Amino acid sequence: MVAIQKNNETQKFWDLLSEVPDPEIPVINLVELGVVRNIELDGQTIIVTVTPTYTGCPAKKLFNDLITEKLNVNGYNNVEIITQLHPVWNTDWLSEETKAKMYKDGISPPTDDNLVITCPHCHSTNTEMVSQFGSTPCQSLYKCLDCLEPFNYFKCHR
Amino acid sequence: MRITIDNDAAKFVVRLADTEMILGQRLCEMCSNGPFLEEDIALSNVALDLIGRAEQLYKIVSEIENKGLSADDYAYRRNEREYFCLKLVEQPNTDFAWTITRSYLHDVYANEVFKQLLKSDIPNLAGLSEKVLIEIRYNLTHARDWMLRLGIGTEESNSRVQGAVDQMFRYVPEIFHWDVVDNKYLSDTAAIEKSWKSEVSALLKEANIKEPELMDVVMRDYREGFHSEFLGHILTEMQFLPRAYPDAKW
Repeated sequence: MVAIQKNNETQKFWDLLSEVPDPEIPVINLVELGVVRNIELDGQTIIVTVTPTYTGCPAKKLFNDLITEKLNVNGYNNVEIITQLHPVWNTDWLSEETKAKMYKDGISPPTDDNLVITCPHCHSTNTEMVSQFGSTPCQSLYKCLDCLEPFNYFKCHR
Repeated sequence: MRITIDNDAAKFVVRLADTEMILGQRLCEMCSNGPFLEEDIALSNVALDLIGRAEQLYKIVSEIENKGLSADDYAYRRNEREYFCLKLVEQPNTDFAWTITRSYLHDVYANEVFKQLLKSDIPNLAGLSEKVLIEIRYNLTHARDWMLRLGIGTEESNSRVQGAVDQMFRYVPEIFHWDVVDNKYLSDTAAIEKSWKSEVSALLKEANIKEPELMDVVMRDYREGFHSEFLGHILTEMQFLPRAYPDAKW
């Protein structure tokens, strides 16, 4: 986990952005997903640095719109968003708490190098990949060989 | 309007950008046309990666050239002769084996190129390379799995993928026909060719596919804006909307 610089001045913005759900995985928010990297104040302008998950993620523009909208409706009208590709977004930025939320919601969270994939329904590790690619760029499709249910797996990305 | 690219670094990056863009467009054609649902989604996911990558590369071109043109201008307002993609990626989705072989040969190439660009001094290119290599490796796994499955599958699948390899290999020689611009921004072009050939030879052997001889370069070079018959048609479809409605916004 790369340490994020927060201070008293910007804490309220972090709190606000922690209320913005990921559009595809609403159980986690954009701060938890690790795409909000930095928040700075330059006079009256709030500068938010965003690192997209995948270069072609269709939610990229939506992230920026949702962040701007959240700050705007809370009375902060001067928002500037900077897209930063490096350091590269990776799944090590997801905390254990965030992964637990995903798991509870039926998405198997990333494990190191995709070695052991646990079924979020029956907790079996006797699972197999159905497709490397799933409903969003960050997920792939698996099925459990014990309970036979299909599920999404959040790919290890690093 | 004719868009020229003057700076050597931009000439180099636009070749990568155009190659990723056109392969992305070709794979977009497979959306809703895949052989089964999961594969349809897989090819569309790969297309997204390619187009996202192209967008970032066009942004780098746009910054280097500094002519007030956006990434979209480079993608949507250049004509066939102003495009610099590999002929390989223009080849059509005639058969699923063509689609897979085209991606496989490209992915091995892209993997080697971006590995060298991890140390590029073109602004933002090294960081972007680190990002896209993760995606390329993932996509390469997908293409390689299919090459094996088709190659050692049935007599029919083997003959189809053999046909695809024979066809696509005609567009490989120009890839390694490096020019001064390539050699200026890639640290070791000979190593790219060597790694490409050794990876592809090993896979073809494992997949029971005969490796065709690489011919001498007989076609005029993509680096000069020469293409196969297909690029004009691809651009006609891809650029229709921004050309018909130049001020259209999402």
